[in-house]
Amino acid sequence: MNLFKGNLLAIIGFIIISIILFVAIFAAFLSPYDPNYIDINSILLPPSYDHLMGTDGLGRDVLSRMLYGARISLFVGFVAVGIATLIGIFLGSIAGFYGGWIDSIIMRLVDIMLSIPSFFLILAVIAFLTPSIWNIMIVIGLTSWMGVTRLVRAEFLSLRQRDFVLASIVMGSSNKKVITKHLLPNSLTPIIVSSVLGIASAVLIESGLSFLGLGVQAPTASWGNILTDGKEYIQFAWWLSLFPGLAILVTVLGYNLLGEGLRDVLDPKNK
Amino acid sequence: MKQIFLLILPLIFLISCSKNNSEVIDYNDNNFSSGGVLINAMSAEPSNLISMIAGDSASSAIASKIFNSLIRYDENLNFTSDIAESWKISKDQKTITFKIKKGLEWSDGIPLTSADVYFTWKLITNPNTRTPYGSDYTLVSQARTPDEHTFIVTYDDNYAPALDTWASLEILPKHILENEDINSTYFSRKPTGSNYYKLGDWVSGQQVNLIKSENGVLGKPYINKLTSRIIPDTSSQFLELSAGNIDLMNINPIQFKRVFPAKPKLKNRTALYKEMGNGYTYLGFNLKRKPFNDKRVRQAINYAINKEEVIKGVLLGLGEPISSPYKPGTRWNNPSLKPYAYSPKKALNLLKEAGYKMSADNFLVKDGKALEFEIITNQNKQREMTAVLIQRRLQEIGIKVSIRVIEWASFVNRFIKPGDFDVVVLGWSLSLDPDQFNIWHSSQQGPGQFNFVGYDNKKVDQLLEKGRRELDLDKREKIYHEFSQQLLDDSPIVYLYAGYGLTAVNKRIKGIKSPAPPAGIYHNSQDWYIPKSLRRNELTN
Repeated sequence: MNLFKGNLLAIIGFIIISIILFVAIFAAFLSPYDPNYIDINSILLPPSYDHLMGTDGLGRDVLSRMLYGARISLFVGFVAVGIATLIGIFLGSIAGFYGGWIDSIIMRLVDIMLSIPSFFLILAVIAFLTPSIWNIMIVIGLTSWMGVTRLVRAEFLSLRQRDFVLASIVMGSSNKKVITKHLLPNSLTPIIVSSVLGIASAVLIESGLSFLGLGVQAPTASWGNILTDGKEYIQFAWWLSLFPGLAILVTVLGYNLLGEGLRDVLDPKNK
Repeated sequence: MKQIFLLILPLIFLISCSKNNSEVIDYNDNNFSSGGVLINAMSAEPSNLISMIAGDSASSAIASKIFNSLIRYDENLNFTSDIAESWKISKDQKTITFKIKKGLEWSDGIPLTSADVYFTWKLITNPNTRTPYGSDYTLVSQARTPDEHTFIVTYDDNYAPALDTWASLEILPKHILENEDINSTYFSRKPTGSNYYKLGDWVSGQQVNLIKSENGVLGKPYINKLTSRIIPDTSSQFLELSAGNIDLMNINPIQFKRVFPAKPKLKNRTALYKEMGNGYTYLGFNLKRKPFNDKRVRQAINYAINKEEVIKGVLLGLGEPISSPYKPGTRWNNPSLKPYAYSPKKALNLLKEAGYKMSADNFLVKDGKALEFEIITNQNKQREMTAVLIQRRLQEIGIKVSIRVIEWASFVNRFIKPGDFDVVVLGWSLSLDPDQFNIWHSSQQGPGQFNFVGYDNKKVDQLLEKGRRELDLDKREKIYHEFSQQLLDDSPIVYLYAGYGLTAVNKRIKGIKSPAPPAGIYHNSQDWYIPKSLRRNELTN
């Protein structure tokens, strides 16, 4: 906590994310019901003591579905960003370290990818594949590595001119050693910050895909799914739209606060 | 004390003020006169106002207000006159002679004669016309027009659904379309018809306006203008209905059972209609794939699905279980048949007979392979929920089921037409004739044809062939009852439910028959009217 000393927003972000992580990990112990347990005798009940967030169109407990949905959202977020970050680090390192024509090729590839609106690209790709949680993670990962690539390349370009890097090269270190021992550890800050911010956008994309019916498939619960179900009943079953909507909002906000807080804290220029 | 008194006074004043100003609408006003506008909501935009080309329900809903057929169904679903004042079937039952009314006109004033009917028949049987309905009319071996008011068709063989096909063929004007390419003509957006209404204007993505025709073949309707607003999202439609911006929409069971009771004000000014529709929802097996080629497996799954639960959970009770592919209550429905009652025990016994054994982790296994399949359906909330309920029941007896929801166009083109699916949740809406040759005959399995489940039963083939040649209604009824029985026993599909059609109509619209006649509430829409005091304020010129 000392890390964020004085940065209230970052602390709030950290707390939000901690709670959501806790909830997602212990969903099985926290949920009062099986998230897929159907009870057609209690369809669309408003929030009450028995069902704190009410029930949905098939009588399933919304709270339990929200808790398990947190798992899906975060899982998708982490894995997708993991894939994107790995690709980004790999391509960014090559481009930044070697420069020249290979740098040009990679950077033009980044430009091409960035010129396509990513959500539509994802929609188009998912439409050809079977929608499943694995495909979504992979597709989000494969379409959002460009930012990390640019960051890593920029860091490498400046770090390469530093004395300690030049010294290491002069002393005969292999390229691999220079990259992994000197360049990468010193460019971790922007990577971490952009990854945390990336999770927020991955959560949002997953919710959007599930909302459009191209995401996680029934009966698995995800926040986007619950929100679509709620759309049908929005005139009177407000609990089906409010809770998942709030959950998405709070999560995305939490990651953004945390990410920006980390940037402020970790950036030496701010100290 | 003084202060409190002063506070209360203005409050009382305010309350009384607002009461005086509130508008009182008396929905019991029955003053009968012609005029007014009816605004309804459509979920989809019509594609083409020539019905034989279009094939979607949005288009035919509009086109049926503009065009006439030779004959039509009356409110009890018997045939009655439309353009033709009478028709006669010859002794050998192969020739039908239609006598066309005299003095008919198209809305542009040109006379409507047998030449138009002959032209329309030529058009729909022309192989260059891109229509899915042509095959019904190519069975006519000869069509003749001895004079302006007579149209005679002759069939090679008895064809029982013949009258039904003439009741569904909308007659098009020869004088406009004669030298046009029907597949691409501008007429499809600016048609000239002969019925109660003519097209006023059509703003793409917004609305279609129909204006009362002064020389309609069947007379004049009371309502001057029909506006169909295109609102794809049902929730938005409902908001518009609540705001009084539309008068009529189709609603879903949740809105019928839960939303309306929760909104007394809205309920007060809206009439709700419930009628059995002519369609049903089913779970269909791909009979060309293992293990669905085994009748015992299909029957077992049928037993394992709780249809009552689906009707209660998905339709909130607003539907009926069925056991034959016909509308409950009609003569074609075999009343002696009963749906497969929910019985996991029977299901398990049948599966054991078929060679399945329970594995250690509670899944049914045969020859080392688990009983496992994917249910696909289109993006339809009711069907998706139905699939989830089915999945739960099948999982309980050890069948692994996954669900996949697919957007309609790719659902049809990539999965249904090529027959690339295990199990599908889908619906059939049916024509009024009991002939279901297209759906169940073994010859109808080609790509894009309707027997995509791959049903093949010699006995059923024979019954279907016999049924469409039999003109005696009682004999025909027997044939289709026997057909339904065989179908139920073979269980190529599991009948899930026949849902009620639910319509909400603003009470300012009068003259709607309740309870709905067999032909549905829209049947007498030309007799609907809006009393003067209840009409919207509108600019007139």
